[in-house]
Amino acid sequence: MQGPWRGLIALLLALVCSLALAQTSLSPTQEAQAQAIGRTIRCPVCQGLPITESPSELSQSMLRELREQVVAGRSRDQITGYFAARYGDTVLLDPPRRGVNLLLWLGPIAGAVLGVWWLSSYLKRTRAAATASVPDTEPEEEQDDYLARVRAEVSHGRPS
Amino acid sequence: MTTQTESTPNAAPVSPLKRFLPPLIAAALVAALGVGLLRGNGGQVSGPLVGKAAPAFALQTLDGGTISLASLKGRPVVLNFWASWCIPCRDEAPILRDLSEKQTANGLAVVGVVFSDKNLKAVRAFTQEYALAYPSLLDPNLDTSIAYGVSGVPETFFIDKDGMVRGYDQGGLTPERLTAGLGKIGVVN
Repeated sequence: MQGPWRGLIALLLALVCSLALAQTSLSPTQEAQAQAIGRTIRCPVCQGLPITESPSELSQSMLRELREQVVAGRSRDQITGYFAARYGDTVLLDPPRRGVNLLLWLGPIAGAVLGVWWLSSYLKRTRAAATASVPDTEPEEEQDDYLARVRAEVSHGRPS
Repeated sequence: MTTQTESTPNAAPVSPLKRFLPPLIAAALVAALGVGLLRGNGGQVSGPLVGKAAPAFALQTLDGGTISLASLKGRPVVLNFWASWCIPCRDEAPILRDLSEKQTANGLAVVGVVFSDKNLKAVRAFTQEYALAYPSLLDPNLDTSIAYGVSGVPETFFIDKDGMVRGYDQGGLTPERLTAGLGKIGVVN
């Protein structure tokens, strides 16, 4: 008697579990996709934390919404676009490279290029100044003659 | 140091690029800063949803009924997200109550949505304390809050009779800001 009952209960349990899982769970690939997208979406009530790392209720709800959209077959751009349309581009941890945001991406590159250009021109100028001041050594030689005389006098003893 | 290096080639004229580049860079930086500051300040009254269709919703009221945006079609709507734990919400609750008392059957509709507040007892106490006669909807999964991009209450959306978001306010309504928002949906306060 116990054998068939046990089997039936196990079957029912498996059915309930699979139903519960089917409602919320994603395939490993979908879950990986959801996590990857979630890592680029900022928790709106935190400081620079993606929704995948925030325990806040809002982040968890946003992650659930994101998972549902992944299951519905929406693309990465569609999903990030959905959140950006509601929370603004500031919700994206990887801001789109367009409009004013281009300054963020191009600014440092332009800064580095300008910096290198300025440094090289500055070095060129200082080198040119250094070579231009080479004749300065000649008076030094003249001075050296004078120094030699002074030293000679000193070595011969001070004139009393 | 600079006077030394510049004094030697004094005879050679300084190129216009060298002369004007540093002030131009400084001017560009100041302009960028000004634009950034002015744009950032607009967050109070303009949200990403302004100019777009208001996301649909169908939520339960505190009394167990259901209200959907579709059921309010043809009426201008003031949609206010609030919570019982939110202090600025207490300041704007009387303003919204006064507004809701003026609403007519086919005119303006004032609707509240409870944001991230599981304490129903506190929610009910809040509505009683401020005698809020307009419906407050429950959004237990925050689906509607996310659809409207709500992150911190209070946030208010002014939706015109065609279902388009025309105005937005964050941080607590004042009578002036309410009048400004209502003006965007053609309602004279």
